[in-house]
Amino acid sequence: MSNYIGQSIKRREDDRFITGKGKYTDDIVLPKMTHLAFVRSPYAHAKINSIDTKAALSHPGVVAVYTGEDCGNFGVPCGWQVNFKNGDTMKEPPHPLLAVGKAKHVGENVVAVIAETLQAARDAAELVEVDYEELPAVTNPNAAVQPGAPQVHDDIPNNVVFDFALGNPKEEVDAAIDGASHVTKLNFKNQRLAPNAIEPRSYIADYDVTVDKYTLYTSTQNPHLIRLLMCAFVLGLPEHKVRVISHDVGGGFGSKIYHYSEEALVTWASKQIGRPIKWTSDRSEAFLTDAHGRDYVTTAEMGFDNNGKIVAFRVHSEANLGAYLSTFSTACPTYLHATLAQGCYTTPLINIDVTATFTNTNPVDAYRGAGRPEMTYMIEHLMDTAALEMQIDPVELRKTNFIPAFDGVSQPGYQTQVALQYDSGNYHATLDRALEMVGYDQFRKDQEESRKNGKLLGIGFSTYIEACGIAPSAVVGSLGARAGLYESAHVRVQPTGSVSVFTGSHSHGQGHETSYAQFVADTLGIPMENVDIIHGDTNEVAFGMGTYGSRSLAVGGSAIMKSLDKILEKGAKIAAHKLEAAVEDLEYAEGKWTVKGTDKSIAFGDVSLTAYVPHDYPEGLEPGLDFSSFYDPTNFTYPFGTHIAIVEIDKDTGKVTLKRFIACDDVGNVINPMIVEGQIHGGVAQGVGQALLEGVDYDENGQMITGSFMDYAMPRADDFPFFETDRKVTPCPHNPLGVKGAGEAGAIGSTPAVANAVMDAISHLGGVKDIQMPITSERVWEAMNS
Amino acid sequence: MIIKGKYPIDASAQNVWNHLMDPEVLKRITPGISDLQPLDKDKYLAISKIKIGPVSGSFEGELELKDIKDETHATIVINQKSKIGNVSAEIKMQLNKLENTTEIEYKGEAKLTGKLAMMGQRIIGGVVSSLSKQFFKTLNNEINNTIR
Repeated sequence: MSNYIGQSIKRREDDRFITGKGKYTDDIVLPKMTHLAFVRSPYAHAKINSIDTKAALSHPGVVAVYTGEDCGNFGVPCGWQVNFKNGDTMKEPPHPLLAVGKAKHVGENVVAVIAETLQAARDAAELVEVDYEELPAVTNPNAAVQPGAPQVHDDIPNNVVFDFALGNPKEEVDAAIDGASHVTKLNFKNQRLAPNAIEPRSYIADYDVTVDKYTLYTSTQNPHLIRLLMCAFVLGLPEHKVRVISHDVGGGFGSKIYHYSEEALVTWASKQIGRPIKWTSDRSEAFLTDAHGRDYVTTAEMGFDNNGKIVAFRVHSEANLGAYLSTFSTACPTYLHATLAQGCYTTPLINIDVTATFTNTNPVDAYRGAGRPEMTYMIEHLMDTAALEMQIDPVELRKTNFIPAFDGVSQPGYQTQVALQYDSGNYHATLDRALEMVGYDQFRKDQEESRKNGKLLGIGFSTYIEACGIAPSAVVGSLGARAGLYESAHVRVQPTGSVSVFTGSHSHGQGHETSYAQFVADTLGIPMENVDIIHGDTNEVAFGMGTYGSRSLAVGGSAIMKSLDKILEKGAKIAAHKLEAAVEDLEYAEGKWTVKGTDKSIAFGDVSLTAYVPHDYPEGLEPGLDFSSFYDPTNFTYPFGTHIAIVEIDKDTGKVTLKRFIACDDVGNVINPMIVEGQIHGGVAQGVGQALLEGVDYDENGQMITGSFMDYAMPRADDFPFFETDRKVTPCPHNPLGVKGAGEAGAIGSTPAVANAVMDAISHLGGVKDIQMPITSERVWEAMNS
Repeated sequence: MIIKGKYPIDASAQNVWNHLMDPEVLKRITPGISDLQPLDKDKYLAISKIKIGPVSGSFEGELELKDIKDETHATIVINQKSKIGNVSAEIKMQLNKLENTTEIEYKGEAKLTGKLAMMGQRIIGGVVSSLSKQFFKTLNNEINNTIR
């Protein structure tokens, strides 16, 4: 007992997942439930002249048909306000539930058709006649801001959502770049990605007229946030009348954080027709409408002195936010991105400048890493490119520039040039370990040898840092967040000593039911089987901000720890009474309170029973053993690590084979190593996917031409070697578990390592300065043969 | 998407032109087409069924000939709708008189929407080229009365 932390305990939830017994939204069938199908815009930009729904309405089985005119006053809000450099508020056009007047991207909802069966709804949707007048479209964020570009929103000039800058004064940074002895400059696109959760989005709304209450079943990462946004900002409903349930969710990667128009629409329409309504996205709709990730067009420059020390880092990007502002879209290219520009280095001068733009494309928002992968790619790709240009070993270049180790306890945190203060770090340690794992010296010899034999081997590095555990509410509030980012936890000790934990974190693949139970059982000294973790229902859980930004354990776990402290504190009072001793004389270990120096003790279960059957009980103490807590962190957490990729390139075809992938991460303390390793593996797979395979493309008319798994390349098992992983531990100094978060690290660290490895393999051929992602065989071949 | 190409037909330009302007012939030789009903002068309602890679659909819509000149030049305007997406195209065609043959030269642009664009675009260039070849080969056979 009492030693679950640090053990790779198999995930309890996997029993139901791998036997097909998970309870996903689409599995739910309610009595008298209807089905909804959307008519979506086939054009990227088109005036809607008229909509004829007569034929659809008379189709057998059709219950109702709605257009934008029917629910035109409701709009989906953005959750984060970013101001222009001059202080003006960002441009925030209405985001209607169904298009009104104009359709602004392919796939935008235009008409909702509700019928007795899904087939009837889909058949009737095809009978809706929409008279569109096609308008010119713009899809590239850089093209969108040019004079004369098509206007996505008629009243927003040059499609600019806002401009933004963070860091040191631009003149100082410009002067340092001008005076640098070497400047590495890259122009690139961080391409748009489709999140592709295995479970498509699914919503069921059920309005109950007898109590005037709504229930929304939704595949979301944050049920309370959905309820708050939908009730307060969209439909104007009191929250106590709305219950949001999100049982098992089959992956999100960010795409299920946001409040989508379809969610509000089914909820509103359920009251209109007085029956439950289900909508489940099909895969084509998911490609078109699940919020995408990335999509920046960037110029990044890094200046160095004679000794390879970074003197300044300067970036200008246009960030594509799509046709409308998704919930956290505005935070991604700004406060979740520019704030990471320090990397692990002592760069003294930094200026990050971003223009966010509207285009005739699907909205873009946070996707595994949210702004940090884009920044990490810039910094780490610049580092290896600079090393090649200056003929310095990339490892040496990093070591020259690393921030020295600091634990955040005896040494203070590290104040960056871009607002954040890092909590603790030891960047040399993960790099040294990763070098040992890869056998760096031997690799360089092998590489030289293999070149003689006509083979192209390359090694790429990435020493990343990221900011997790989002976030101190006051800090994000001052930066424009329209919500707090604390977490809640309610721990209920049942009379016989078993424990129900209600958490505002939401598990959609993270394994909370296991890892949370591990540290709760350890803290209370009781068997793990006696602990249940409950999440995903606004009627059961008091409140919650949900799961994203690698925040669950660091913020949600800390909230649980606060409740556990309260339970042990009250339990000690009960125990002291029963043992006829003073509280100060008791110690708690292995599930019992013992009077120090004696064998007199009372077990946790006896104390809990006493709390609920308080016959012999401390005077003035309330019965029960049941505590709620809210935890608002004092800082972000800053995991870091070193990723190394080794690739081999086929000279004749340009095919890139990932031969080895080494990851040494430091995510602070670890509760369940197997779960952390699984997160790293999954993240690396996604990061390598971006480097080599994935990319959403629109044609010049704004039609998505990568709308299926035949056109959008997802990584598969045979694209990977077995990952070699290890960890270092630098605990987080400011949360009770000392944890930092591991959900996004793999996706953030891996992408530049792979791109750098490709460049290392081919740059000696001469002429190849850079290569754009995804690094397909075609691109490599062209680079080698141009 | 740009559509262009050339194809030689073993016949005089006049003969080729006459065949191309005959809806009954077009109905017989155009791949996938099941009906071609005259709506107006040089304007037809076309109904066809075409499979493009992973997507197949029944198309219905107008087909119009305009800018007809010298019995050698014409522009074909296509507006076809289907459940899998719409196709609109404007293709200029001209007949070049060569020594013993006639070369049909065509050039234009097609726009696709919906599933056609999402899933078909990757391979549609190849499909269009193979359907065109089939069309011209059948036209050649039709004119020269060889294999039917």
